[in-house]
Amino acid sequence: MSDELKSIPSLSPAHAAWWREALRNPVFTAAAAFGLVLVLGLIFSGDGAFYKWGTHRDALRQASVYGILACGMTVVIISAGIDLSVGSVLALVAVSFSILSIHWGWSPWVAIPACLAVGTACGAVTGGIIARFAIQPFIVTLSMMVFARGMAKYVSGGMKVSTAVQGADGTYSYVDVPEIFRLIDSRLLGENLSVVSLIFLACVVISWIGLSRLRWGRYIYAIGGNEAAARLSGVPVGAMKVAAYGLAGLFAAVAGICQAAQEQQGDPEAGIAYELSAIAIVVIGGTNLMGGRGGIGLTLLGTLIIGYIEKILSINAVPEANRLMLTGVIIVAAVLIQRRRV
Amino acid sequence: MKARTRTIISMSGLFALCLTVGCERTPHEKVFTIGMSQCNLGEPWRVQMNADVKNAADKHPNIKVIFKDAQNDTLKQRAHIEEFVSAGVGLIIISPKEAAPLTEPVAKAVDAGIPVIVLDRRVLGDKYTCFIGADNKLIGREAGKWIVKKLGGQGKVVELKGLMTSTPGQDRHTGFRAGIEGSQIEVIFEADMKWLEPDARKEMESALARFDEIDLVYAHNDPGAHGAYLAAKAAGRETDIMFVGIDALPHEGVMYVKQGILDATLQYPTGGAEAIDIALKILNGEEVPKEITLGSRIFTTENVEAGGELIGS
Repeated sequence: MSDELKSIPSLSPAHAAWWREALRNPVFTAAAAFGLVLVLGLIFSGDGAFYKWGTHRDALRQASVYGILACGMTVVIISAGIDLSVGSVLALVAVSFSILSIHWGWSPWVAIPACLAVGTACGAVTGGIIARFAIQPFIVTLSMMVFARGMAKYVSGGMKVSTAVQGADGTYSYVDVPEIFRLIDSRLLGENLSVVSLIFLACVVISWIGLSRLRWGRYIYAIGGNEAAARLSGVPVGAMKVAAYGLAGLFAAVAGICQAAQEQQGDPEAGIAYELSAIAIVVIGGTNLMGGRGGIGLTLLGTLIIGYIEKILSINAVPEANRLMLTGVIIVAAVLIQRRRV
Repeated sequence: MKARTRTIISMSGLFALCLTVGCERTPHEKVFTIGMSQCNLGEPWRVQMNADVKNAADKHPNIKVIFKDAQNDTLKQRAHIEEFVSAGVGLIIISPKEAAPLTEPVAKAVDAGIPVIVLDRRVLGDKYTCFIGADNKLIGREAGKWIVKKLGGQGKVVELKGLMTSTPGQDRHTGFRAGIEGSQIEVIFEADMKWLEPDARKEMESALARFDEIDLVYAHNDPGAHGAYLAAKAAGRETDIMFVGIDALPHEGVMYVKQGILDATLQYPTGGAEAIDIALKILNGEEVPKEITLGSRIFTTENVEAGGELIGS
């Protein structure tokens, strides 16, 4: 038996060692999982739709909002926290951005920074409460999730903020979709890449620089690995947490702006359960939920995995019930492939 | 410890703020009080229903409506009915979340001598005063018939379905299929977009990637049709395809038709105004029918400025 095995070239000692090494590398396993998903797409191509670039461009566009949320979520999870509020903050920013841009006609140069400030403030407040009062992030961000959803409904009056503007006498008049909405929902490079996908990539790069190239990132890993040890080593744990949740809030605001632009309206019900998708993306990528381990490259791959699974199921017009079951199975399979071999 | 107390105080302060923000009441000459329990205000259509009730009630200075929102929680809605009974309101309007668990509270209110108008969704049995609702099957069928006429009896159609585990989704689907029966209309792609615009856009992108020829999109609600339009527009194919939605809220579907985004939308009436009419009759001691089925209107590019056209019935 063992002779037989040795005769297979790929299992020669040198190759076996290479494979063991590769399987220990989380980026390799995440890429392998994504490769498997792509193979699924090549087989179940939806009458050849999978072979058209347009399908891939749309898959990237659809995954972008989740991916942007997942960037912030990655930082928070590496710090051994969790942020359940991102979906609600997305909705709050989407309605705020729509009100400022559509109804009040503010210039994007003012409206966008204002909206980013709203999101960052939400995140910083939760981070501040978590750090100052040492409460479980789950509870604090759950409170912010409920609060921000309420704010979104309050600000919008419970209605979608669209291009129908209600006058003082109760009648509706219609305004054009603001230029900034069209710009964010447009495409570049000869219609081949959506602007929101570029925004997502920018968020990935920003997070990567923060986590891998700045001292701030090393502090986040240190806090997630062992908070007490980090504190004793002089890491400003409180400030770092405010920054981590603030960044998650900032990205939630970016996602909210993208969401509003793509829907051409601000929906106070937008983003429900998006936080779960973002967490799933981070975990599928291979970032450890216990904190201290993982990275933004993994989250990029996780976004692609989830985005392509959704797209493949959609082009094949798989019925909803089967989609949910298949998604569950595929997520577990992806995580199993990812499991760290020690 | 002190820090924790402070947190608790500040959090409860925030909650109290949330609670007070929603409540605003206009003083009225107090004659009849009507309790209105809405199953949730998350959907714009239900916001519209409350607005219709309020607008109709505002015309009558002798009635006052108390609105409650059950936030999609059956037990909360049950509590609303019990609260209205113990407060001794003159009449209850309920748009129930689901039938079975709310049947008994409604029956108890009737037993206590309070008339109950049930709006949109039903309760079981016959222990209520009046049911007012629209017919989704009829609306779906009328949509199908209009589409057959518009496409000249043949064409390729994409159907974007509402949540198929919900009755409106099922009825708008079966009604539509009955409406196109016998024609050469072919449904080439169907998907469940769960009433959500972003999902409708995703599914439509898939349909566009698969099929080079699509004549019309039938979506079970207007946001779905709008999402499909945005997908087609991004692909530069919006002028080749017609879009039909359902609900026809004034600032949503009807506006889309006016803006040339949708080719037609069929109204799913809220019955809010009718509920107040019936309530006044009941309070004046008049006889009312046990069941009222609301008519629907279709708004098309041609008739939208004239206020749509009555269909069905």
